[in-house]
Amino acid sequence: MENIISVRGLVNRFGDQLVHDGLSLDVRRDEILGVVGGSGTGKSVLLRSILGLHKPTSGTITVLGQEIEYQKPGPSHCWGVLFQGGALVSGLTVQENVELPIALHSDMPVETRHELASLKLLMSGLSLTVADKYPSELSGGMRKRVSLARALALEPKILFLDEPTAGLDPIAATEFDELITYLNDNLDLTIMMITHDVDSLFGICSRIAVLVDGGIVVGTVDEILASDHPWIRSYFGVPRAQRARRSVGGASTPSR
Amino acid sequence: MSNPFLSIEDQPGKMIVNVKNEWIFDNVLALEHATASVLPQEGQEVTFQCAGLEEIDIAGAWVLYDRTEQLSELGIKSDLQGFKEAHFKFLQNIIDAAAIREFEESEEGPEKSTLKRQVMENVGQVASTRVEDLGEIVRSIVNGLHRPSLIIVGETLKQVYYTGVQAIPVVMIITFLIGIVLAYQASGQLQQFGASVFVVDLVSISITREMGVLLAAVMVAGRSGSAFAAALGVMKLNEEVDAMRVLGLNPNQMLIIPRVFGLVIALPILTIFADIAGIAGGGLIAVGSMGIGSMQFIERVAFSTDLADFYVGLAKAPFFALLIAAVSTLRGMQVTSSAEELGSKTTTAVVQSIFLIIVADAFFTMLFTRMGI
Repeated sequence: MENIISVRGLVNRFGDQLVHDGLSLDVRRDEILGVVGGSGTGKSVLLRSILGLHKPTSGTITVLGQEIEYQKPGPSHCWGVLFQGGALVSGLTVQENVELPIALHSDMPVETRHELASLKLLMSGLSLTVADKYPSELSGGMRKRVSLARALALEPKILFLDEPTAGLDPIAATEFDELITYLNDNLDLTIMMITHDVDSLFGICSRIAVLVDGGIVVGTVDEILASDHPWIRSYFGVPRAQRARRSVGGASTPSR
Repeated sequence: MSNPFLSIEDQPGKMIVNVKNEWIFDNVLALEHATASVLPQEGQEVTFQCAGLEEIDIAGAWVLYDRTEQLSELGIKSDLQGFKEAHFKFLQNIIDAAAIREFEESEEGPEKSTLKRQVMENVGQVASTRVEDLGEIVRSIVNGLHRPSLIIVGETLKQVYYTGVQAIPVVMIITFLIGIVLAYQASGQLQQFGASVFVVDLVSISITREMGVLLAAVMVAGRSGSAFAAALGVMKLNEEVDAMRVLGLNPNQMLIIPRVFGLVIALPILTIFADIAGIAGGGLIAVGSMGIGSMQFIERVAFSTDLADFYVGLAKAPFFALLIAAVSTLRGMQVTSSAEELGSKTTTAVVQSIFLIIVADAFFTMLFTRMGI
């Protein structure tokens, strides 16, 4: 299988604190990779390093064959990012937010841009009645959907999601999970998501990456559950994880 | 005509369009031109043969879909054929989205009002918001003074330090320079009449009555007015103000009262420093380049400028301070949603503060002249 993202020997050190110690990770084409880890294990730092927003102490990161350098324009055309808070431009309407990247990256006529943005909003499960609203007038779940529409605006190959279902009620979270699966199936998107939602982990992720001890343990849900690492055992051993696991029918995993 | 994205076979009664290559986002502009060249005759049916497609994404599929829609509006039948399954799902997304959209658009929106009505509404709205603003200022100050706690004193002193003490150097420098400017400008004119010594009168009276307090107030409006509006605005955005309310703290008392009182105390102090620096600036020119002796200068200042002149300037300071603090805190508290709004409210705070200061100053000048002070 082809690797879309490969991280090699990533080291991140903050003062005395060693967050990543020679971490290596491959993200395969068309998979949904869930990233978990305790507080301070560097989930966000890993994501930010891949996106070129953080300068790693050492290590190389390649996305779609292109090496990522700190604050250099990466393959921005090929990836979309859903930040945790949505990170919408607060002074622009929903429609303008989605049109913004299209306007900056292409020379297509205004009507086409408008149509494509509307299309992305609809695909993200939004009604076009929200198009003229400002982000502050939307609920948290809708803001995430707008942010998703913006992330999809440039027809990306990879989608990064930072805790997409955090702060959503269970119904909205389930719908969001369905949307992610739909996009993964229908747009051939490779998805890397940081999440603590055990329902998402068991329900939609093809593989799980667990950040422990400065390194990473990657595997299918079954493999991760079989791990005897104490932190992983305790993470998936808590009652809510057990319940989530039962509710998706044992430890079966969507395989690709 | 050869096109990298499609080739057209014209047959009687139908037109076959072979779609090929990469129909993706980067090529949208070229694709739109390409599809626009599909111009069937009346009665011709169009078939888009899509087996030759190498790659497609939502943007590309939309261009194709959009053209079939345009053709059907012209009463021309068109058909999409030969999609690979991996490609068809992109088109399916668009068909689904279009269906949702059609359903939504069937529900009518509210009626739009006429231009005349809009203008009237706007005028009314502006007028009523001004009245509301005034009410809001009075309400928040009165409300803030209700059952005061000792915290106010500490917070107020802090504000006196930030808005007053820290501003002393910059206020003194600008009034010193304005003193120099006034003296220079006046000396040129007054020397023609051999009345150079009146430069001292002109500088000391204009600085104490008008310029000192005005410059200090404008400086404070720019410095602290913006700080008030921005600080309160961010607190509103972070829900800090709401958190205070829920904790049973009175945000008007905690945030607005200390700033208002702090500035009301600070601006008169600044005015005194501004007066001293302004007269010193005038003195530098009078003594240094006009040949007026330093003792003569001091005597002349004492002779020409009453304490009344000094008090006239000083008396305006608390009013200006009240205007600045009230307008800036109000604008800050009006921030509700976005970073953009924070910026615009801060701008409004400073602009309106300075505007109101000047208006108030004109009013005071007329008042004092009528009173003969």
